[in-house]
Amino acid sequence: MIVESSEQVPRLKWPRRFPVPRDFGVAKNSRIIEGKSWPEPEGATRIATLRIYRYEPDNDGPPRIDTFAVDLDDCGPMLLDALIWIKSKVDSTLTFRRSCREGVCGSCAMTIDGTNWTACTRAMDELSEPSTIYPLANLPVIKDLVSDQTHLFAQHALTEPWLHTETPAPERERIQSVDQRRALDGSYECILCFCCTSGCPSHWWNGDRFLGPAALLTAWRWLADSRDEGRGERLDSLDDPFRLYRCHTILNCTRTCPRGLNPGKAIGEIKRMMLERGG
Amino acid sequence: MSNPRPQSPNMQNYRPQLTSVMSFGHRLSGSALVFFAFGLSAWLVAGAAGPLVFDDAQAVVHSIAGRVMLILASLAVFYHLCNGIRHLIWDSVHGFELRAIYAGGWAVVGASLFLTSALWIWVLA
Ligand code: SF4
Ligand code: SF4
Ligand code: FES
Repeated sequence: MIVESSEQVPRLKWPRRFPVPRDFGVAKNSRIIEGKSWPEPEGATRIATLRIYRYEPDNDGPPRIDTFAVDLDDCGPMLLDALIWIKSKVDSTLTFRRSCREGVCGSCAMTIDGTNWTACTRAMDELSEPSTIYPLANLPVIKDLVSDQTHLFAQHALTEPWLHTETPAPERERIQSVDQRRALDGSYECILCFCCTSGCPSHWWNGDRFLGPAALLTAWRWLADSRDEGRGERLDSLDDPFRLYRCHTILNCTRTCPRGLNPGKAIGEIKRMMLERGG
Repeated sequence: MSNPRPQSPNMQNYRPQLTSVMSFGHRLSGSALVFFAFGLSAWLVAGAAGPLVFDDAQAVVHSIAGRVMLILASLAVFYHLCNGIRHLIWDSVHGFELRAIYAGGWAVVGASLFLTSALWIWVLA
């Protein structure tokens, strides 16, 4: 099938996951066991089954998958509504991040049915039955669906996402033409949900040194800014076999961005800019 | 904290997509071609070593397993070639729209299957 927008939910029922054993290459404390199955709500006629990853740091137990039955007639239309419904009506210990509930804060990103998306913009009727809800892929888990993104933000900070200048500050603001401003469209809208970086196989294998699509999209946002005077140092810092060039143009990033951005293309632009300066 | 945090699954839970599957395929066909190159040189060495050795080598090539390997090797050649062209286009920062990514991906799959069958129909005919 041809995918035209990252919003499109995969239609094929198969294959749902790669043909590898569930515990393939998985450290002992990360292996997932079957957890609790909660009873169906009484009197419900329309039910959605959510299989949710749980991890409780305060006891020594391994992560587990709990099964919840959600009464669709009693909760809002989005996955985030269903999670809030579970938290208030079934199990108040279920833990997840959320804030804006409209896809602009990036807090509620998770791996939904095997692909990354923000829970507040994924409708319940787009889920499979049963659906699987995991914390963002390939990250240390703090509790349940809350992942530890310290490393991802450190990588983001490494791109020095602020204006670098050498010329003295002008009397008024630094001016851009309409076209120069337009060159930033598609790279400044990133909400740092990290759906892309968490879904990038290259970042799975080399995430300690490869910056990943989210940080590289931000790097491009400053490289493309006509007011920025730090292009040379910015390129120097990226000119490294790992930081930039571990991107193999797999494009899982572009496929999964809930804002419809194109980090894969931004990385292509950086590689071309690097080539053009001869480095 | 006493116990280190668990890591959420990646490959074990993430959905295979045309994007990632074709990239793995590119790696796989690339590595397969290295082995194919060894096989090819072994065959050439056998040819240089004289008719007796060469007859043995030919027997291996014409066995069922040998034929399957040859067909797979030709598929790897065509796939790696076509997908390599796709990567060249990306290197010029073209074709990054999702529609182009998917259309190009399916075109590469189709073209490599077509070229492989065409080659073998031509060889065996
Ligand atoms: S295009 Fe690059 S950054 Fe995006 S998923 Fe692929 S390897 Fe990762
Ligand atoms: S590029 Fe898209 S997927 Fe990646 S962090 Fe930004 S908004 Fe999220
Ligand atoms: S709650 Fe803000 S993006 Fe979902």
